[in-house]
Amino acid sequence: MNFSQTSQRLLVACGLVAFAWAALAQEALPPVTRTYAFTNVNIIQAPGRKVDLGTLVVKDGLITAVGKGIAIPPGAIVIKADSMHVYAGFIDGFSRVGVTKPKEEQRERLKDPGNPPPERAGITPQNDVRYALNPADKSIEELRNLGFTVAQVVPYGNFLPGQAAIILLGGKSADQMVLQSRAALYSELTGNQNIYPNTIMAVMAKWRELYRQAVQAKNYESLYATNRAGLERPANDRVLEAFYPVIDQRLPVLFRSERILEMQRVLALKNDLKFPVLLGDVKEAWPLVPKVKASGAKVFLSLDLPEEIKKDDKKKDKPNAEREALEKRKAEMIAKATAQAAEFQKAAVPFGFSTATVKASAIPAHVRRMIAAGLSEDAALAALTTAPAQLLGLSDRLGSIDPGKMANLVISDKPYFNEKSKVRYVMVDGELFKLENKEARKADGKVNAGGAWSYKVESPQGGSGKIVIKDDGKGNLTGTITNSTTNRETDLKNLEIDGKTLTFSFDFAMGANPITINVSATIEGDSMDGSMVVGQFGNFPMKASRDPKN
Amino acid sequence: MKKIFLLVSAFVVTNAFSQVEKGSVLIKNGTVLTITKGNLENTDVLVRDGKIAQIGKGLAAPSGIKVVDATGLFVMPGIIDAHSHIALDAINEATSPVTAEVWEGDVINPFDMDIYRALAGGCTASHAMHGSANAIGGQCQTLKHRYGTYEADALVMEGAPRTIKFALGENPTRVHGGNNIVPRTRMGVEFVIRQAFSEAKEYMEKWDQYNKSKLVKGFRGTPPAYNLRMETLADILRGNIIIHCHSYRADEIYMLLKVCKDFGIKRLVFQHVNEGFKVAPELAAAGAMASVFADWWAYKFEVYYSTAYNAAILVKNGVVTSINSDSNDLIRHLYHEAAKTQKYGALTDDEALALITINPAKQLGIENRVGSIEVGKDADIAIFNAHPLSVYAVPQYTLVDGVVRFDRKNDAADMRIMPDPKENLEMATLHEYNGHNHDACLQNTEFLFTAKIFGAFNQE
Repeated sequence: MNFSQTSQRLLVACGLVAFAWAALAQEALPPVTRTYAFTNVNIIQAPGRKVDLGTLVVKDGLITAVGKGIAIPPGAIVIKADSMHVYAGFIDGFSRVGVTKPKEEQRERLKDPGNPPPERAGITPQNDVRYALNPADKSIEELRNLGFTVAQVVPYGNFLPGQAAIILLGGKSADQMVLQSRAALYSELTGNQNIYPNTIMAVMAKWRELYRQAVQAKNYESLYATNRAGLERPANDRVLEAFYPVIDQRLPVLFRSERILEMQRVLALKNDLKFPVLLGDVKEAWPLVPKVKASGAKVFLSLDLPEEIKKDDKKKDKPNAEREALEKRKAEMIAKATAQAAEFQKAAVPFGFSTATVKASAIPAHVRRMIAAGLSEDAALAALTTAPAQLLGLSDRLGSIDPGKMANLVISDKPYFNEKSKVRYVMVDGELFKLENKEARKADGKVNAGGAWSYKVESPQGGSGKIVIKDDGKGNLTGTITNSTTNRETDLKNLEIDGKTLTFSFDFAMGANPITINVSATIEGDSMDGSMVVGQFGNFPMKASRDPKN
Repeated sequence: MKKIFLLVSAFVVTNAFSQVEKGSVLIKNGTVLTITKGNLENTDVLVRDGKIAQIGKGLAAPSGIKVVDATGLFVMPGIIDAHSHIALDAINEATSPVTAEVWEGDVINPFDMDIYRALAGGCTASHAMHGSANAIGGQCQTLKHRYGTYEADALVMEGAPRTIKFALGENPTRVHGGNNIVPRTRMGVEFVIRQAFSEAKEYMEKWDQYNKSKLVKGFRGTPPAYNLRMETLADILRGNIIIHCHSYRADEIYMLLKVCKDFGIKRLVFQHVNEGFKVAPELAAAGAMASVFADWWAYKFEVYYSTAYNAAILVKNGVVTSINSDSNDLIRHLYHEAAKTQKYGALTDDEALALITINPAKQLGIENRVGSIEVGKDADIAIFNAHPLSVYAVPQYTLVDGVVRFDRKNDAADMRIMPDPKENLEMATLHEYNGHNHDACLQNTEFLFTAKIFGAFNQE
């Protein structure tokens, strides 16, 4: 054994010990101290408020001092954040980060779908998302690594699935995560398959009816409370009771409001019933900014943006006037969607952001696109920090770097909105997360999905064809799917590999309505086994095998 | 406390109407078909702020006003379709045989290209109806085709009376009876309607009683439980909502006449009414109206006994009759449909044109606003290059509230308002499925009949 081999082994052994110790320290031992000092750091306390190369002290989960020439308390862990940039931790106004999706269970067919029990009708406003929180959910870490420290999260389900909570993106248990429970009543204007309310029409009608019934029940309860003699006992109704704080204007209703018509329907309900509203994941409000402003609803704009049209589109080689006209309009619509935040800024409507439908990794690029489309950097930062804190009523604790506020921080090596900036530290409620250099842990252990695959779907109509996937070796996947009956080639979207699991989606024109089909499959050697989720029509098993290379 | 209960019980549908865009224009030197006051040649129509301000010869154009030269053109009131399903995001709440509480006004889609296509056929207003899956379907909404707006509310014809869809015969019995839910037969349909009205009557009486008792000093009591379905049905009994009933056979038409008589309901319009010719005198005597197809039948068993003379027979018997589309295709050429009554029944020009203008206006309760060219009415106007009952007629301009919403000379290829920024352009140029998709009455109920997912949908 020569010297270098020995030293290598020694190093490996030391590394192992160090790793084991670190793991132990992280899981079993409490931190030695909860006092931290970030030194020589650019402190962006709030949009437009900056301390150049100062010191930031955090103690027991709270910010205690900010500025220049601050004494470092004895025993503090000193983080030399030389020339880095620290911001208040970001706040996500609406998502399902950390929320466990309930398993789909086969439920018995209702004899009378017109009169379903409330839980089958999607009417469970009394439910609380706290019972569905999973601190180990990997979505928490994904979002936190981008600088998000707080999120308003909602339960899965349609119509009135339950109450939202504002959670910290840290903590070991559901209770530790919760910053504020019962933060909002959550609603989606979507119905149930085959069960009343099925259409948006019935959802709207049922919304009005439930609300008015709740007003009636609440009034009767207070009448009864003042003098019970001679009055029938009020009925207990957990569904209606969930509306009481909304009726008192103490609790807002958070609605998913992606599409412009969905948003208008929410505003119609607000106008009819007069309750406080949060519009979540707004994507198409740009034509109606004055209307939104006049409504007084609080707005969380979606961080999801339509993809930009790629310049090197392969179909470009054949000039086609119709196609070019369509592309031009599509580009206009993409530009409008991208400039939505700038429109809200121009109209002086405060807004936050929501991550409900965006792929986490795309968020920084999307914010940069919004900035390029006219949103000021200060307004972008406000939408991530001060504005959502204000809109959610958390300004006393969150949104800026000021003594007395919670120690929720994000530290990046360059200004956050710089394309090359990387998040180095995130602090949530005083707990420090150090981010590894991402390049170091390049995805490995991933299977190779490249090549041509022949697939078969077990649906009532059957279906088979080809899937062609190209892997550029840098982790970027592209592909197409061709149905053997129609011979129509469709581009695959959102191609991703996670371990052995390949996921992608594509659009399918059914009648006049294109629907999105989502595919998830496990790759084992040259075979693929998975399923296709076809809109509301169900889930169909899919198998594919890789064609041998010529 | 009293006040709040009053608020709940005396609920009326309120709507924050969007600002309606109104135009001013002078239509010069056309042949004006007023429908109600004869034809006027070489005549001008002056429109100010969305209303017809003056009709006459040689009118001077006020300064700054747009002028449309209608020399050699025919100017008629905008066509009104009393039965349509365009501009809607949902048609059928097919989960229950009675769904009076749902309302099409909640699901208007102002981006539907069919609105523009209807304008290109001179059609300025339509009755956006619930489908025919349920014996008592949802409330409908009269729309003006103000295509170009982002706001759903802007299509609502402000002040138009409330209407509701009923349905008799095969559709409700097939949708619900097949799932072992009443109605399975025509008897069942009558029962469902009578039961609903009876319950609503009881509900109404309970509230009346409660509200009356509350006036007595020191009254303490429990209010009846608020129910939006019952509220709506009670409004029908009170005469505040016009019934538009999908029907084909004479026996079922006569049945509903009797039911409505029993419950004191007077405002009733039958839709389709293919056997209306058999009960035309009865319809006329009851004051019930009829909205029919020109010549469309045999798409299911109950529609075999039909005739193209139906509209003419109804008109000659004194029934207020209209011809409707129930289709995003026919709505573009209702003037052709009206013209068929001249071949089958020899109706006069005015009688034929009334079928698609003033008569549907009467059926929707909007005849004081639209349906003819008269001073004071809304400037909803269609301008054709030939007499609209001619097979050569092509619409040139369509105005809604004095705003030119269709101009054949400036008809851009892409009139979409909100194209999808995520649209897949590979699929964008594909033709829409356009087989037998007339009669959208059963739209959105496919899942009740078939598990097919990639097969052709049969909307009828």
